[in-house]
Amino acid sequence: MGKLWENFFKLRCKQKDEDEIENILSHIPVFQDLSRRELRTVKRILHQREYRNNEVIFNEGDIGLGMYIIEKGNIRITCRQDTHLLAELNEGDFFGELALLDDSPRSASAVAQAPTGMLCFFKPALLDLIERSPVLGSKILFKLAWTIGERLKSTNEQIKELRCGIQQDQKKEQ
Amino acid sequence: MGNNSAVSFVKIALFSILVILTVAFLSAVSSIVKLVIIAALLAYILDPLANFFESRNMSRTFATISIFACIVTLAAIIYLVLFPLLWAEIAALKSGFHPEEAGAVVSQLEDFLVANLSFLGVKELHLLERLQNSMAQAGDWIVSHFIDAASVVTSLILIPFIVFFLIKDGREFQKAFVSIVPNRYFEFTLYLFHKLNTQIGNFLRGQFIDATIVGIFSIFAMWLIGIKYFVLIGVFAGLANLIPYFGPITGCLLAVIVSVLQTGGFQTALYVIIAFTVIKLLDDAVVQPIVVAKSVHMHPLTVLLAVLVGGKLFGVLGMLLSVPLAGFMKVVIHESILNYRRYGIRRA
Repeated sequence: MGKLWENFFKLRCKQKDEDEIENILSHIPVFQDLSRRELRTVKRILHQREYRNNEVIFNEGDIGLGMYIIEKGNIRITCRQDTHLLAELNEGDFFGELALLDDSPRSASAVAQAPTGMLCFFKPALLDLIERSPVLGSKILFKLAWTIGERLKSTNEQIKELRCGIQQDQKKEQ
Repeated sequence: MGNNSAVSFVKIALFSILVILTVAFLSAVSSIVKLVIIAALLAYILDPLANFFESRNMSRTFATISIFACIVTLAAIIYLVLFPLLWAEIAALKSGFHPEEAGAVVSQLEDFLVANLSFLGVKELHLLERLQNSMAQAGDWIVSHFIDAASVVTSLILIPFIVFFLIKDGREFQKAFVSIVPNRYFEFTLYLFHKLNTQIGNFLRGQFIDATIVGIFSIFAMWLIGIKYFVLIGVFAGLANLIPYFGPITGCLLAVIVSVLQTGGFQTALYVIIAFTVIKLLDDAVVQPIVVAKSVHMHPLTVLLAVLVGGKLFGVLGMLLSVPLAGFMKVVIHESILNYRRYGIRRA
């Protein structure tokens, strides 16, 4: 009887975990417009990985295959052999989405800052999804393009601010 | 430093023992391994079809069932139409050749050889007798190698069973395998799977389509020329086409022998050679560039050696399987070395 309750509890826990994953996915811009059913399809092709504290997820220059979504824990994104900190990411954040479209090596390193759970969405799975479910695939691609566009806009803003700063500094010097 | 090298040595030793045990186990169950390899290759070929059905809003299970329904229908048509023809042709082949014209041609050839090659010690060749024996043996060989009742029944049950689950749950199997790979090699393993899926998958599907087209062309050409056993020769030429270099020549040679024995002259044989040359040219110039494009590229010498080694180890089946297996190994080794050099795979 105890076993039955144990199994039942495990099943409930598993269901809860799966609902949590769907919940995390629904907050990621790439998957925001998807229905519950489509989210379940995406969830089935994701890989779940666990990383220890200080474990490297990928190094700058490594082969890049897709994006990572933080299920739990923290990640440090650095470049130039860990000398420059680019970002610190937490639960629900995502990174590496450019590798879904691009074959070039990783432009930064990612290291776990605590025991971290990751959901990994990779290019082969996306290509496979486009082939067997073109509508869902195009929805994801559209949102992926939008996300990358938003990042580009934000980078442009930062460049503009930096330029303005440099020009003001140059005027002051003159 | 000394401690590190000792640990490395133990690791290498353990890995070597594991490899040896795996190879020993696989060779002990080689017949099952062969079935699994054939099933995996068939699943690779059929996978895009399952994806196509899935893209038409079918579930993966229903898509797999649909493919099997199509195959069963096709097999029933082949059984009803092609099989009686093939069986009759094999039976006729087993009974040997008796036309008088063929005997006369072979005798003429024997006389010619004895007259011109006597300086080599050529005396009595008994060509006709040998030819009849080899044709009868060829019929027996086809029966024993391809139509062995016990193995056919086992294969007919086991292969579709494995293929069904490989198509239906292939992704889950791959995911389960990747889940046990350490984090350090996880992304690279997926990358390798991706490369194998595209390059080997394209190669296998291309070869399958190519062999079917060559087989149909050969059947049609032999029927047009009026060669006996045109179905058997066409099917053989199509299958033989899967074996690079040797295949097309063997297919043509069989048709030439049959035509000479059938007509007692070399004129039809000339038509047969022309027909096979045209088919080969069409295959090389039109079919191959379209269907085998974007697949793994292998040096002709590698292909030749792979075919020879495969043939030596596992016979005709080995020759058929050697090229995709060599391609598989090439992709794995090439990508591993390339990525190790470029990225160092992963610095721990």
